[in-house]
Amino acid sequence: MKGLVVQSEQETFLRGRLSAIVDAADDAIVSKELDGTITSWNRAAEKIFGYRADEINGRNIAILIPPDRKDEQARISERILRGESVRHFETLRVRKDGKLINISASISPIKDEDGKIIGVSIIARDITERKEMEERHQAALKELGDLKAALDEHAIVAITTPQGHITFVNDRFCKISKYSREELLGQDHRLINSGHHPKSFIRDLWTTISSGKVWRGEIKNRAKDGSFYWVDTTIVPFLKPDGKPYQYVAIRADITERKNAEEALRRSEMKFARAFANNPSAIALTRLHDGLVFEVNDTWVALCGYTRAEVVGRSARMMWPTSPEAAHFVQVLREHGVVRGWQQEFRKKSGEMFVAELSSQLLNFDGEEMILSTLVDITARKQAEVRSQESERRFRTMANSIPQLAWIARADGFIFWYNQRWYEYTGATPQQVEGWGWQSVHDPQILPQVMSEWKAAIAAGQPFEMEFPLRGADGKFRRFLTRALPIKNAAGRVEQWFGTNTNVDELKRVQHEIEKLNAELEQRVADRTAELQSANKELEAFCYSVSHDLRAPLRHIDGYVNLLQRDSEAVLSPRSRHFMSVIADSARQMGRLIDDLLVFSRMSRCELKRREVRLDALVEDALQKLQPETQDRNIVWALAKLPAVQADESMLRQVVLNLISNAIKYTRPRNPAHIEIGCSSEGPDEVVIFVRDDGVGFDMHYAHKLFGVFQRLHLDEDFEGTGIGLASVRRIISRHGGRTWAEGEIDRGATLYFSIPIRKDRPAG
Amino acid sequence: MRLPKRILLVEDAAKDVELTCAVLEEQKLKHDLVVARDGGEALDYLYRRGKFSARGPGNPDVVLLDIKMPRVNGLEVLQRIKADPQLHSIPVVMLTSSREEKDVKSSYAMGANAYVVKPVNFNEFAEALRAVGAFWVSLNETPPMRD
Repeated sequence: MKGLVVQSEQETFLRGRLSAIVDAADDAIVSKELDGTITSWNRAAEKIFGYRADEINGRNIAILIPPDRKDEQARISERILRGESVRHFETLRVRKDGKLINISASISPIKDEDGKIIGVSIIARDITERKEMEERHQAALKELGDLKAALDEHAIVAITTPQGHITFVNDRFCKISKYSREELLGQDHRLINSGHHPKSFIRDLWTTISSGKVWRGEIKNRAKDGSFYWVDTTIVPFLKPDGKPYQYVAIRADITERKNAEEALRRSEMKFARAFANNPSAIALTRLHDGLVFEVNDTWVALCGYTRAEVVGRSARMMWPTSPEAAHFVQVLREHGVVRGWQQEFRKKSGEMFVAELSSQLLNFDGEEMILSTLVDITARKQAEVRSQESERRFRTMANSIPQLAWIARADGFIFWYNQRWYEYTGATPQQVEGWGWQSVHDPQILPQVMSEWKAAIAAGQPFEMEFPLRGADGKFRRFLTRALPIKNAAGRVEQWFGTNTNVDELKRVQHEIEKLNAELEQRVADRTAELQSANKELEAFCYSVSHDLRAPLRHIDGYVNLLQRDSEAVLSPRSRHFMSVIADSARQMGRLIDDLLVFSRMSRCELKRREVRLDALVEDALQKLQPETQDRNIVWALAKLPAVQADESMLRQVVLNLISNAIKYTRPRNPAHIEIGCSSEGPDEVVIFVRDDGVGFDMHYAHKLFGVFQRLHLDEDFEGTGIGLASVRRIISRHGGRTWAEGEIDRGATLYFSIPIRKDRPAG
Repeated sequence: MRLPKRILLVEDAAKDVELTCAVLEEQKLKHDLVVARDGGEALDYLYRRGKFSARGPGNPDVVLLDIKMPRVNGLEVLQRIKADPQLHSIPVVMLTSSREEKDVKSSYAMGANAYVVKPVNFNEFAEALRAVGAFWVSLNETPPMRD
C-alpha cells in the first residue's frame, strides 16, 4: 500500500458523499484513461450497460462501442485531447447482452492540477427509450404526413374554428371553390353557402358537430364565379380534453358529376314515367309466370275499368276469357319473345267484353321475367269490319245477279273475288285469275297501258275507268268498259276496290243500231215533213187561186146585176126585181161561203204560233170590225176583264170574231139584246171563256151538231150563215188543246164556252 | 182651173174594167182614165213605149193596180214603179180581190200607198171606189212632176 494517505476524515466523508452522489445518479458516470481503460463505473452505468463495475473496471471502453462507431472514438478523443468537451453526443453502444442502445454522452477531459489531461470523464444517458419514442414519433409524424398528403390528394379539406372561420384549406378546396387561399383563410365558412339547403339542414349540421359528433351528408356549395358544386361531406370535430371541439375538419369529395348524373337520370326517369302514364295506348307491365301486375298506365285503367290499386299486385289472368287462352298466349310469347297484333277478347271490370289488339314483349328486369304489353281497343274497328264484311257480302250477291262482270280487290289491287259472269265469260278457273292472274285474258298489246292506269288509280285512291278488250272463253276479244270504285274507311284510306266490266261491244252494237234507226227516223220525218210542207204549199196556192178566181165571177155577177138594176129600175116588174135581188144575194152568199171556207182551211193548215194574247184586245178588235152589224142595234154589252192566254193570235182573233158575230146575229130579235163575254173559270190548268147572249137560243138536243161543218140549226131565211163559223172555232180551239161546248135553250139564249189550256212549260213570248 | 187627174187603171178582167168605169162615171169626178190590160201594158204606158209611145209626157196622178194578172202581175208592176226614181213617187193603190195577208204585206213592203180589197158586193165596191176617188183624185196632192 503506497503511502497512503493521511486522509482526513473530511476527505473520506467527501469522497463517500461524492460516491453516493455518483452512485445515486440516473446517468452513467464513467471515467477512463486516455487509452480507454475504464477506471470508474457507477451503478447507473451498470444498469445501462449491463456490466458490473468489477467486471468492467480495467477493461477498455471499446468493448462498448459497436464496430461501425469506432472512428467516432478517435474523433472524440482528438477533441478531448484538445481540451474540448463534447456535450450531448448521441451515439450507439453495445451492452453486455449484445443489445444496442442509444446513449447521449457528455464527454469531458479530466485534468490534473497542472491542467494536464490525464483522463476522460463520460456521463451517458440511455436515450434508447427516448430514441425509440423519437423514432416512433418520427414514424408517426411521417405517417401523418403521408396520410395528409393522401388526403390532400383525394379529398377537399378545410379546417375551421369552432366559430366557423377557415384556418386551413388544401389545394383542392381552392380549386373547387375557385377562391385563392388568401381569399379563404380567416373567412367565415358561410362564404361558400349555395342557399340550396333549408335552414333546418344547416341547423342540424351545426348541432351535430358542436356536440362533438361526426356529421356526414351531401352539400351543394357555391363557387366564387357563382357556379355550383356538390360535395359529399364529413365534418369531424377535433375535441379538447373537455370534450368540446377546438376545430372542425371537413373532408369533402366532389360529387357534382354524380349529382348531375343523378339529376339527369331522375329527369329522364320522370320523362319516361310521364310517357308511360300518358301514353294513349294502354300499357301494362306484368310478371311472366303468373301474370302479376306490376304497373299499368292511365289509359289502361280507363280502358279496363279497374283502378290502379285494384289491379297492381293481382294477376292479369282474370281479364282473359279463359285460362287456356292466356296460357296459350304465354307459350307463344315465350317462343318468340315478341307477339304483335294478337286479337283477343278481354273482360273489363264491369264484366263487359271487348276486343283488343295485344302486343307484348318479353323483358328481363333484374332477373325477373316480365311482359310489357300494349292494348288497343279495336271493338269499334271490329264492328266496322263486320259491317264491311256484310256490305261485301251484299255486293257479291248483287254482283252475281247483274249481267256485267264484277270483282272485288284488296287495297293493293289484288283481286280476290270474281262474280259468276266473270268465270262464265272468260272460261277461267279461280286459281288462274285470282290476284293478278286476270292479266292472262287481256290483249298483250294493250295490257301495259291497263296496268299503268290501274296502278295509278290504286296509288291515288281515285276511281278507275277504262275501256279495253277481254278474251272470252271462245277466244274472241270483246271490248269492255271497266269501272272500279275505291271503298274508303272513315279515315279516308282505301280498304277495297269494287269493280265491274260491261260488255260494250254489245252495247256499242245496240247503240249503233239505235243511231241508225234514229237517222232513218229523222230522214223519214224530214221526208214526211217535206211532203207535208209541199202539200201545204200546194194547198195554199190552190186556196189563194181559188179564192181569187172564185171571187171574180161573183163580183161580176153582183156588179152587173146592180148595173142592170140601175139601168132597168123603171121598167122592171116587182117580180123581176125580186129575181134580180135573189141573184145578187146568191152571189153574195157564195162570196161569204168562199171566205169562210178559206178561213177554215187556213185554220186547219197553218202553223200554230203561240204567244201571249190579250183576249180583251181581241174582243175590242172584233167589236170594231163588227161595227157595221152593231151600229143600228141596241145591244147591252157586259164585258168582263179577260185574262191573257198563250195562243195563236190570228186564230184566236177568228174565234172571238165568230162567237161575237154569232151572238150579235142571233140576238137580232131582241131589243135590247144582252151579250156577255167573260171568263167562267181560271184554274191552274186552263182558262174558260164564254160568250152569252139572250138571243133565240137552240134546242139542246142538237147541241152535238152545233160545231159541225156546214151544220146549221136554223133556217136560212131566219138567220143567214154558212155553218162554218163554229166549226172553225172548234177546229182552232182543238188545235190549241182546248175544248168547245155550248149551252142553250130555245128562245132563252145560248152560252158558248171554249177553254184554252195553260202551258206552264212554255215561257211567255 | 185644176187640170183633170189622170188615173191609170191596171186590170185584166174586162168585166171588172166595165164595172169600174161605170162607177167612176157615176162619180162625176173630173178625170182622165187610162186602162192597161196587164202589167206589161201598164209599164209600156208608164215608160211611154209600145202602144203608148205617142202619149204626152207626165205621170198618172194615181195608179189603181190589180194583182192577179197574166204575164206581168201587179206586184211586179208595183216593184218596177217604186224602184224607178222617175216613177216611184206615183201613188199606187192596190185594188184587188185578194185579201191574202201575204199580198197585203208584200204590197206595203214594196211601197204601195194603199191597199183596197174589191168587195164582192157591188154596192160596197162602188162605195170603196168612191172613197178612193174622193181621196186620191180630189183631195190628195200629187207629187210634182220631175223634169
